[in-house]
Amino acid sequence: MTAVGYRDGVTAADWRTAIRESAAALVDLGVAGEGYPDACVAMVERHGPYIVLAPGLALVHARPEDGGLAVGVTVTRLASGVPFGHPDNDPVDLLLTFCTPDAEAHVGSLATLARALSDGLAERLRAASDGTELLTTLKEVFPDAQGGESGGQR
Amino acid sequence: MTVPLDRPLDRPLDVLTVCGVGMGSSLMLKMTAEDALRALGVDARVECTDVSTARGMRPDVVIGQEMHTSELADLAPVVIAISDFLDKDGLQATLRDRLTARGWLA
Repeated sequence: MTAVGYRDGVTAADWRTAIRESAAALVDLGVAGEGYPDACVAMVERHGPYIVLAPGLALVHARPEDGGLAVGVTVTRLASGVPFGHPDNDPVDLLLTFCTPDAEAHVGSLATLARALSDGLAERLRAASDGTELLTTLKEVFPDAQGGESGGQR
Repeated sequence: MTVPLDRPLDRPLDVLTVCGVGMGSSLMLKMTAEDALRALGVDARVECTDVSTARGMRPDVVIGQEMHTSELADLAPVVIAISDFLDKDGLQATLRDRLTARGWLA
């Protein structure tokens, strides 16, 4: 089971705010603890902006022990792109954020996500007309998706 | 200076994808690399890990963001830096060139 949620039209002044907002959607879904958003920020502070794995797209996460309670994936669309300090892929306008309770539980969901991304998922998410369509598009990726009530416009 | 060609491998190619933590980005890159290698007809085993763990490994090929591969330049005979982990066609072209140069791809 993969919990899914979204944030749309998020106004973020910097990458830290963008990451916190996107990870807060996992907290709202009940699949990550309160400390998870800050842990996601700390991950980039420690390891660098490599999580921007394609032009404009960041894959945000922290470690299971940072508050991962179940497998969840959220999409966050920013009102306008923010720089993450990546040499090639800045600015970021789309964040996919996940959490997992252990080092294995998320592997299937992420493999599914990878296939969807290579099949144009990021473009479909960017083209979504509103938050509801954003969530519908993400739900189509995960046949076992549940949740989404906590999504919202910002 | 001529670079000596390695002999063709008589075993599956050992490929390592790396990122900072080894559970998100490198897993996405693993999927892309598997697709690219399959398209090239290369028999390969692809693993993903974090940059620290990677230092203790001896793969044939390492793939990651430049900010990580620059730390792993001596780890493998073939080290590939890419910025777009979802660009299967780009990675496939790079793998074709680099593996051919090694004599690992006819």
